[in-house]
Amino acid sequence: MFPLCAIVATAIFPPGFSLGSPVIHDISGLVFHQAFPACRSKNPFFHLLVLIIVCWVSALQATSAHAISSISIEADSIESEVGSMRQLKAQFDLDGKVSVQGQLKARDDLQWSDTSLECARLINPQRGHWRCQEGKLVGHNMQLPFSLDLTQTNTGSGQRYAVQLDLKEASFSDAAGLRAGEKLTATLALEAVQNHRGWQWQARLDWKSGELFWQPLYFAEGGHRLVASGSWGNGTLTVSQADLLLDKVGQASIGGQWVNGSLDGLHLDAADLDIATLYPLLLQPMLQGTSLDKLELEGRARLKLKVEHGEVRSFLLDLKNADIEDQDGRFALYQINTRIPWSYEDPQVMQFSYESGHLLKIPLGQASIMADINRYSVTTSQLYLPILDGALSLTDVSAARVGGSWHWHLRANLVPISMPELSQALGWPRMEGKVAAAIPMVTYSGGNLVADGDLLFQLFNGDISVSGLNMQTPLGLAPRLNAHVAMRHLDLGDITRTFSFGAIEGKLDGDVRNLELSNWQPVKFDASLRSSPGSYRKKISQRAVENITALGGAGAAAAIQRSVLRFFSEFNYKEIGWNCQLRNDVCQMSGVEYTPQGYVIVKGSGIPAITVMGYNHNVGWSDLLARLKRVTEGNSTPVIQ
Amino acid sequence: MKKLIVFSMLMAGLMIAPLVNAAADLEINTPAISTIKNSMQARHGQLAGFYASGAVGFTRDGLVAVRDANAVPLAQRQSLNSLVAAENNDRNALYKEIASGNGHPEWESEVRSTFAQRWIQKAQGGWYYQDGGGWVKK
Repeated sequence: MFPLCAIVATAIFPPGFSLGSPVIHDISGLVFHQAFPACRSKNPFFHLLVLIIVCWVSALQATSAHAISSISIEADSIESEVGSMRQLKAQFDLDGKVSVQGQLKARDDLQWSDTSLECARLINPQRGHWRCQEGKLVGHNMQLPFSLDLTQTNTGSGQRYAVQLDLKEASFSDAAGLRAGEKLTATLALEAVQNHRGWQWQARLDWKSGELFWQPLYFAEGGHRLVASGSWGNGTLTVSQADLLLDKVGQASIGGQWVNGSLDGLHLDAADLDIATLYPLLLQPMLQGTSLDKLELEGRARLKLKVEHGEVRSFLLDLKNADIEDQDGRFALYQINTRIPWSYEDPQVMQFSYESGHLLKIPLGQASIMADINRYSVTTSQLYLPILDGALSLTDVSAARVGGSWHWHLRANLVPISMPELSQALGWPRMEGKVAAAIPMVTYSGGNLVADGDLLFQLFNGDISVSGLNMQTPLGLAPRLNAHVAMRHLDLGDITRTFSFGAIEGKLDGDVRNLELSNWQPVKFDASLRSSPGSYRKKISQRAVENITALGGAGAAAAIQRSVLRFFSEFNYKEIGWNCQLRNDVCQMSGVEYTPQGYVIVKGSGIPAITVMGYNHNVGWSDLLARLKRVTEGNSTPVIQ
Repeated sequence: MKKLIVFSMLMAGLMIAPLVNAAADLEINTPAISTIKNSMQARHGQLAGFYASGAVGFTRDGLVAVRDANAVPLAQRQSLNSLVAAENNDRNALYKEIASGNGHPEWESEVRSTFAQRWIQKAQGGWYYQDGGGWVKK
């Protein structure tokens, strides 16, 4: 027995390693105690493996003299920087079966968990060559069946190790389940040579099958491969050359350096990636929460990236014939080709072109964009984006990323777009004429969009100007808008035809002051609509009169004497006027003038004349909208001639 | 007479003002708030199962967090994460909107902590929430 204990004692004395109080006993049940001073180890698991191997060897050597067929070792506790083990029990059978059981607690864990490591057959076919067959590492949330082949040889320049590790249907998970793998089958072949400069290594990892979730990334199946070589020493891991194959996505050539576990330098070149598969695998999880997190992509991409001293120094992104579609249908661009170079040192010119697309269902025509990129800013003097038969022409465009958020400004002109096509594309009632707009300097900063000057639109043969425009978080969850709107000489004929309200001929002026929209719904305004001054044809149809009356709601009466006036299809009017002050979802209404009973909305003139009265001074805004909807829908039934 | 009416209205206003100041109207409704609430309502059906299984729990700051995703198949954990992120986006926006809807954007943190308690009170038995010591099963 004595030689065995001597060997065990040497085995557990490597520097920095200790067992609390190991107990060694042979099959006869005799127990030997040996006390060791407590100290700490950096890697108890490695030393435990050494211990197992040495004990097993010693058992073999002792067999002839002492007829031992099985050896077990127990230890109360083992402490290390990465965690602790307790109630450790190792058993060596002379047929080659080795098992270690105990309770394990990683440094951050709260609870102990049962862990076991076993090799159904541990064999030593020749000196320096070990093979663990049908090995299994089992613990809390962990089931790792493996086989391991380790060869150690002496070469002229140093020690050479070759490891072949096969995982078969392995599963593991961390406590929260945010880093987990299931049924992973993979092979790792690693060769490493140790010399005076450190380690030189080369590795090949084949991920054959199984799924992996490594928050936020998810790999549904294997087929990926990494072949790499490099060196390791003094806390620096150098990958001099690596080839990564991502199944169905493409290949990347990588080199890099990690100092004390953090990335120091990297160069990556992926010449031809399939973005249809790259997006769900790597990009979508990274874009979560942005407006680009629900896309469908087609096409190929080239990506080059260079990192130095932990900072991105340059990259190049080329898209080739790419199609991008938003799954919610908000936008799409087809046949995109880009060349987007970026460098920390030098200004670059980017190109971006597409054949067609749509934004909020508005068709976009072919466009080609050039812009200057200077570190964290993008500028271009002119951007021309064709839209239907017109275009959006942007000038003085400048965007910069400062303090983690985007700031930009631009001027724009809307080159006249035909309203029939535009209204159809937007799913609005068909509108006639053309829309044109001049948009002054618009600035977006800190989630706020401010227009510096008046936005001018031409619509319904009149002018609409929007002043004091201010939007908060326009793309956020609760956008807010403040503005004043002024309308002059709008053609009432065009408007009433558009909204199937019943024909009114004339011109309309309007002001909507203190307009406040929350989530694009009005919450406050002071609106005043009235006939434009001047002389022009003023006619209102019987149907329009009925509709205005109906807006007054049940019980509202119009001063329309049906008995006489029902024979007329239209009437002359002198003036139309309607005011609404919206506060707290209630519209306080008035008209052209007050009467003892109410207020006048349409003031008649000539023969036959008609006067439409309003009697309700306060109407719920949502009620009013519902009535308006009923009126316009009721009138829009198609007429088949 | 007119003066008397104006005076009594002014007095009433002065007396009510401190009361209004002291408590935020958590039930206030604006178009933005109703949009956020609808969005949360629509998502609740998807989240309820995760609350019940303990995969997701309520945090102390009025949000939700992944507590233990092990019961969820690997392929669904990514969507679980985005569900949690979207819910937290809505919750953050809701607290902000309620505070600004009350005319006091600076009340956001009080609104948040009041809601944090409310969510926990309204949680069904078996759901998890965070207290000072970690996750607790209700």
